[in-house]
Amino acid sequence: MTVCTDKTVLDQWYAIGAVAEMEAGVESHTILLEEALCYAIDGLGIPRAWRQSVGEQNPLPVQCAYGYVWTCLGEPSGDIFTIPEFFETDRRNMNAASIGVNVSAPRAIENFLDMGHFPYVHTDILGVEPHTEVKEYDVEISEKNDEILATRCRFFQPMASTASGGGADVEYVYRVPHPFCSVLYKSSPMDESRMDVIAVFLQPVDQEHIRAHMMLSVLDEANDDKTIRMFQQTIFGQDKPILENQFPKRLPLDPRAETPIRADKSAITYRRWLSRKGISYGVIPAAA
Amino acid sequence: METLQRNWYPIASSSDLPFRHTFHGQLLGREFAVWRADDGYVNVWENRCLHRGVRLSIGINDGAELKCQYHGWRYANRTAGCTYIPAHPADAPARTICNRTYPAVEQYGLIWSGESPDGEPPQIAEFDSGVPFALRPIPVNAPADLVASKLGEYTFQPSARIDGDGATVQSEIGPAGCISLMSAEDDVASRVLFFVQPVDSNRSVIRGVLCECPEPPDEHAVLMHHNQRVSALRDLIEAEAVKLPTPEPMQPVIHRVSEELASMPQQTLSGRTAPLRVQVSRKWDAADGIAGIELTAVNGQLPTFQPGAHIDVHMPNGLVRQYSLTNGPGETQSYTIGVKLEPDSRGGSQCMHEDVRQGDVLAISEPRNNFPLRRDAIETLFVAGGIGITPLLSMARALGHSNLPHELHYFAQSGQHMAFPDVLASLDEALVPHLGLDPQATGKQLDKLLGGYEPAMHLYVCGPGPMLEATRRIAAEHGWPDESVHFEYFKNTNEIDDSSSFEIDLARSVMTLQVPAGKTILEVLRDSGVDVPSSCEQGACGTCMTTVLEGEPDHQDVYLNESEKSSGDCIMTCVSRAKSDRLVLDI
Amino acid sequence: MIKLYDYELSGNCYKLRLFMNILDVEYEPVAIDFYPGKEHKSEWFLKINPLGQLPVLNDDGFVLRDAQAILVYLASKFDRSGKWYPTDQPELLGAINQWMAFSDGITSTSSAARLHDGLFYDFDIEACRAGAHRLFRILDEHLWFEEKQGNSWLCSADHPTIADIACFPYVILSEEGGISRQDYPAIRRWTDRVKRIPGFMVMSGVFPAGPAFKQQNQEMSA
Repeated sequence: MTVCTDKTVLDQWYAIGAVAEMEAGVESHTILLEEALCYAIDGLGIPRAWRQSVGEQNPLPVQCAYGYVWTCLGEPSGDIFTIPEFFETDRRNMNAASIGVNVSAPRAIENFLDMGHFPYVHTDILGVEPHTEVKEYDVEISEKNDEILATRCRFFQPMASTASGGGADVEYVYRVPHPFCSVLYKSSPMDESRMDVIAVFLQPVDQEHIRAHMMLSVLDEANDDKTIRMFQQTIFGQDKPILENQFPKRLPLDPRAETPIRADKSAITYRRWLSRKGISYGVIPAAA
Repeated sequence: METLQRNWYPIASSSDLPFRHTFHGQLLGREFAVWRADDGYVNVWENRCLHRGVRLSIGINDGAELKCQYHGWRYANRTAGCTYIPAHPADAPARTICNRTYPAVEQYGLIWSGESPDGEPPQIAEFDSGVPFALRPIPVNAPADLVASKLGEYTFQPSARIDGDGATVQSEIGPAGCISLMSAEDDVASRVLFFVQPVDSNRSVIRGVLCECPEPPDEHAVLMHHNQRVSALRDLIEAEAVKLPTPEPMQPVIHRVSEELASMPQQTLSGRTAPLRVQVSRKWDAADGIAGIELTAVNGQLPTFQPGAHIDVHMPNGLVRQYSLTNGPGETQSYTIGVKLEPDSRGGSQCMHEDVRQGDVLAISEPRNNFPLRRDAIETLFVAGGIGITPLLSMARALGHSNLPHELHYFAQSGQHMAFPDVLASLDEALVPHLGLDPQATGKQLDKLLGGYEPAMHLYVCGPGPMLEATRRIAAEHGWPDESVHFEYFKNTNEIDDSSSFEIDLARSVMTLQVPAGKTILEVLRDSGVDVPSSCEQGACGTCMTTVLEGEPDHQDVYLNESEKSSGDCIMTCVSRAKSDRLVLDI
Repeated sequence: MIKLYDYELSGNCYKLRLFMNILDVEYEPVAIDFYPGKEHKSEWFLKINPLGQLPVLNDDGFVLRDAQAILVYLASKFDRSGKWYPTDQPELLGAINQWMAFSDGITSTSSAARLHDGLFYDFDIEACRAGAHRLFRILDEHLWFEEKQGNSWLCSADHPTIADIACFPYVILSEEGGISRQDYPAIRRWTDRVKRIPGFMVMSGVFPAGPAFKQQNQEMSA
């Protein structure tokens, strides 16, 4: 008996904990889709997960991917989406943090896709006034992978180049390969031809609470893991009070619930994509 | 619930609203962002930015506008209309993007509002004889009806016997459902009225007002006395409330935005309409030969304007003229325009100067903005010539209020010819007057001013035709690209050649029409019942701009810049025509 | 140079970053991976602070822990105005220390609730929130009556003190622990005023205030 009745949501894989934060043989506890779960990893790195109410004898499907333990409460509808860059040997992969936020998963995804807030929420870091324009970019739903892809996204970032010390446009690519996960590519300051990867895997605790797991795969050689991790926490910590002050907390899918502008193209596509999938968990579905 | 929604309730104390603060209120489950503008006006808005639902109570009250913390959207004092969307700095936001507002009346030291209250807020006779004195409001975690019933048991000392303990207290239900209590000891008495604000199903605020302000030395003691007693009563009520089943929170209806806002709106206004009635509330000499005219709404509220916007004024003599608004941000109680008496007036400015008087009622259009101001420039230069100051005044005031870097260069005959001196004085060092220069000296000065172009600088020019031409030419010589030079002509002095005849295809309406010599595209469209917005109808204001899908336009306007003209993808239907036999328009 | 063992998301560390910024004191932050790395419980850090807590300040070899103690130290050493911790005014000094102790109560309730909600600490969340509301009622009442007497700050002075700095962070971050400040309008106004202290800076989770009304500006500089 599950609390969540949204089959599309139940059948997804969800990251529930960072492997690096687990100790072999020690049980961890968490909540996924309002169900209490236990999970553990053994000395060989083999993960296990089970419902607290059911017990270890009836394990849930489980696997490790991108530094996290993933599980599924329904019948997995496929494999976890791929992030090919993770496997490039010269990258540093790390879990930046898992942070609890009082918001629905889709609101947090939408924020992750948004550039217009950089000068206001990430002032002097990812953006700065008066450089507020969101330039035209492209969004498509890739039919092959059933994922959203936003390309040609550019936004002015102060101190974009360590060499010149000045601001410049930084390029971003966004993927939404999972209703509650997104992968962001950002031009690397180290190597202009390649991109750093920042992924966010959201674990819906319930319809209005999430655990946001952040994964980084970067080409940075100048900074140590701690610096990169703390930077990511600073950024996420700036988004958190915005997310927690959004009302309603669930993402409204009715096109007339809020007022989009051209800069919100990717968010509009995301809302339509969720609608088309018939997602009802963490959203306010559009009236039929 | 519905009956409660028709009531007026106090939702804040006057002292909760200092300047530049945003109060977080709630009534019957609906959250409010409440803020006082620098002109004293109290705004009660739904606590939700229309864009992405972020609470406006965490936004910034800059005295004129409320700015959302998420994307910097700005909403104007009074109208709650959006005036600026930073993600698209070159666009004028559709003025219909408007937050939900609720009525607000400040009286008896309280702010009164309601979901959809009937009539006016209650007039309370008990407060008429003295100076009402608001107590510290006390929030309670309990339903309003429980709170109200317990307030009948409240006891207190009269203000003049605050240290005593022998007062007798009588309670009754007072006006507007309040609890009215009279405390008497010996020959002194005090009356307090308690209003219970239903915040949510299980939360309330007790708002007490003494009918008579205590003597100043006793004020503090009286406030402390009531604070202590009401707090004690609150503890009792809360102890009782926790024993009751917790009611479900109220679910305020979240209204849908209008259909046109569900996607980025196109300009859809039709015709040359004048839906607003305004009264000339003030008329004065704003400078030598320039009349300042202040227009106030006859009914309700004037629509939101943005810097650069103009209105059509329909004059008593039947003429229609365009005037730019000079208002600063948040100055939403009236529109102020400046009208120069033209020596060769065809009757427009003459009528405004000679016939229009204070108290007259005029018909005007809603403000339209074809001269939008970007606020993402690293520096903005304004160049005004004569009466061309008017739109730039509004722009400079907006940038000045937000501390954005700008200079306003004002070319005028003399100091006496500089319009709106009081407003100019408020611009401080941003204003640079250039007085009494002949065309040659003006050119020299412009050459100096426009020398230091850097990317992300923007130039706005408004003034007489020759000066505008000169400014555009000099700017181009100094490397200013077309997209950084914004201009507005007063009028189109080009001689219009309407001798051509051609065919137009309306792609969306699937119609083919013939435009004969001597008639404009706009007139042909109107004759066929196709409604297109327009304003100046001489190719200067940009209102009738239409997208060209096929064919080569014959541009005769002064609105488009050279690169826009050569791209050939839009046309001013009021004057421009076709060089090709056929034009396909996106109508 | 002063070293501050620091974690960006810690309100107690923020107190010191904020105060040093206000006093224009230069310092070098040493980032500690508080979460998820638990570096403050590592062997090397326990040698610096056996309590395993942030922040810690090292001023040329003088090592001090406890945010409130460090505020006292910084004010005494670097505040030339003598207004942030006026040692020559017994009543004011007493009041400052009373509210500094109160700020510890805010930390053990409001900050604990935030750690529970954000970083999954195993605390009794309802008890944390109820405790914070109890303190906020007292704080709101105090600030309301101070306003009535024309005082803008916690300790009845015409100038903020380190008590305001000590209480501010976990008040302004309370919503991250599910503690709304809607019922505390006097607290909300006071947080606006703190944000307008010259030299104020934000941390992740804290928004800046807009410009003050002109007359207020004059008061500030007077």
